[in-house]
Amino acid sequence: MSEVPLLSFECHLRRPGFQLDVSVSGERSLGLFGPSGAGKSTLLQALAGLTGADSLRIELGGEVLVDSGSGLVPPVHRRRVGIVFQEHRLFPHRTVEANLRYGAARMAPSRWSGVVEMLGLGDLLGRRPALCSGGEQARIALGRALLAEPRVLLLDEPFAALDRGLRRQLLPYLQRVVKDARIPLVLVSHDLGDLLAVTESLALLDGGRLVARGPLEELVRSPESLDLLHDCGLVFNVPGSIESRDATGLVHVAHRGPSALRIACGDGAELEPGSTVDVRLRPEDVILALPPAPPALSLTNQLPGTVLHLTRGQGRTLVSIECGVGVPILAEVTARSVERLGLGPGMAVIAMMKAQALRIRPRY
Amino acid sequence: MPGLQPEEWEALRLSLRVASTATALVAVPGIALGWLLARKRFPGRFLVDALVHLPLVLTPVVVGYLLLLLVGRRGLLGGVLDAIGMPLAFTTGGAVLAAAVMALPLIVRSVRTAIELVDPGLEDAAAVLGAGPWRRFRTVTLPLAMPGVVAGLVLGFARSVGEFGATITLAGSIAGETRTLPLAIFGALQSPMGEDAAVRLTLLSVALSLSALLLSEWFLQRMRVRGERP
Repeated sequence: MSEVPLLSFECHLRRPGFQLDVSVSGERSLGLFGPSGAGKSTLLQALAGLTGADSLRIELGGEVLVDSGSGLVPPVHRRRVGIVFQEHRLFPHRTVEANLRYGAARMAPSRWSGVVEMLGLGDLLGRRPALCSGGEQARIALGRALLAEPRVLLLDEPFAALDRGLRRQLLPYLQRVVKDARIPLVLVSHDLGDLLAVTESLALLDGGRLVARGPLEELVRSPESLDLLHDCGLVFNVPGSIESRDATGLVHVAHRGPSALRIACGDGAELEPGSTVDVRLRPEDVILALPPAPPALSLTNQLPGTVLHLTRGQGRTLVSIECGVGVPILAEVTARSVERLGLGPGMAVIAMMKAQALRIRPRY
Repeated sequence: MPGLQPEEWEALRLSLRVASTATALVAVPGIALGWLLARKRFPGRFLVDALVHLPLVLTPVVVGYLLLLLVGRRGLLGGVLDAIGMPLAFTTGGAVLAAAVMALPLIVRSVRTAIELVDPGLEDAAAVLGAGPWRRFRTVTLPLAMPGVVAGLVLGFARSVGEFGATITLAGSIAGETRTLPLAIFGALQSPMGEDAAVRLTLLSVALSLSALLLSEWFLQRMRVRGERP
């Protein structure tokens, strides 16, 4: 990832009843998250030049691509800012191959075969886009954008039109793209788990305003961000790899820490032992107890840990706990529980999760 | 029914020549205007729109007369046209001009509707992939609008073949020069023994228009089949 140039941009635009002011600097892969109408898609459109901005500046590894202040505003087709659209926008009158080659004038042959292989497009080349499945169309759109050799890649809810199962299959492709492409990337999704699986950093947008930016662990420490994240569906990922599947159908996931999370069968059952995965969790599914562990409990996963900090939002408190699993475990509890358990930083607790509440996502 | 008389052949040849020249003449401006009206917002857009469509709502005779005022020997541009040796009033050129002006709105309307139905999002996608305006038009807009463009050209051609009022006003009915099929039919009906000729010329007109229609169908079919390959 070290070769990826850092992306900075600043965008201001005004529309009747809407105003967008976003400034971001030094990002490699940024996930845009926020309620609908927050301006995420508008921001991407403005960056690509598809919609006018009152003021726009894009800088890439020290090089200025766009600067409306000094009159440097290249038209869309000379900007080399790639977009993958939610509706994919494949050309219906061209074959898959002709779609892929559309923007690939300056492409080396090795690049072509690399992208076609990476996205598994070899069997589709002679077909019309209309005859391809939704997942295939998403991969074609991704490949077409990559083959045009953009300097920045913007993805506007590329998997939103797909059902959950397909999205799960496509995430590893996107992760490979991020690893291989060596260009900065901005991803918009309404699925926080997808964003976390792909991007390093999050930008939280609300009403055209950048509320906060940084990794999730940092964002949840601000009450305002916490409430916004909660309203849009707060989840977090624990990275690991599949260790085994036992006779009762439970999938066991190992991770960097000393203990293993256990996952209910039915999710991740199709994955081979050894596969790299993310275990996806919702903070409201995490239960806290004070040690020692209760003697008889149906909960499968019990992780001992230490409270890092507490964030008080509206009607909820988020507790971050260091359990030695690579990322802090986030637990949502009521203010009353905080009081009753006397929770505070440095306290020893046990984080408990039902196996059925955990979801598995394959990871490239 | 006896075979075609030489002057009837002449009317057919002239009709083909006038109609195809007129259609060819307005094809590019017609497509350009259709695109302009479908995709661009500019001052004077309404005026362009109204001017192009005027022949559609005016009596052809009025269109012919207006053209005569413009390009006739004593018209606004008459002197210029005379000076460059291209007088239009009462010449084949005049018949072509009359047919072209009458065909233009049909082509523009058809092209415009077809282009309005092409998703601008696809043009945006092409731009993001590095295609400039001309390449976007050539590779995305035009191919997707092609059925409407072909339909417009066929309509324009058929209108040119059938053009009567504007032609007779601007170019008269000069055998071998401006007497196209409709003028010849009208002429035949005016003469005492012309009924047979009128019937022959009418059948000829029907055959000509049908051929144009079938040709365009065949072209569209071929385009659809060919489109399956890259």
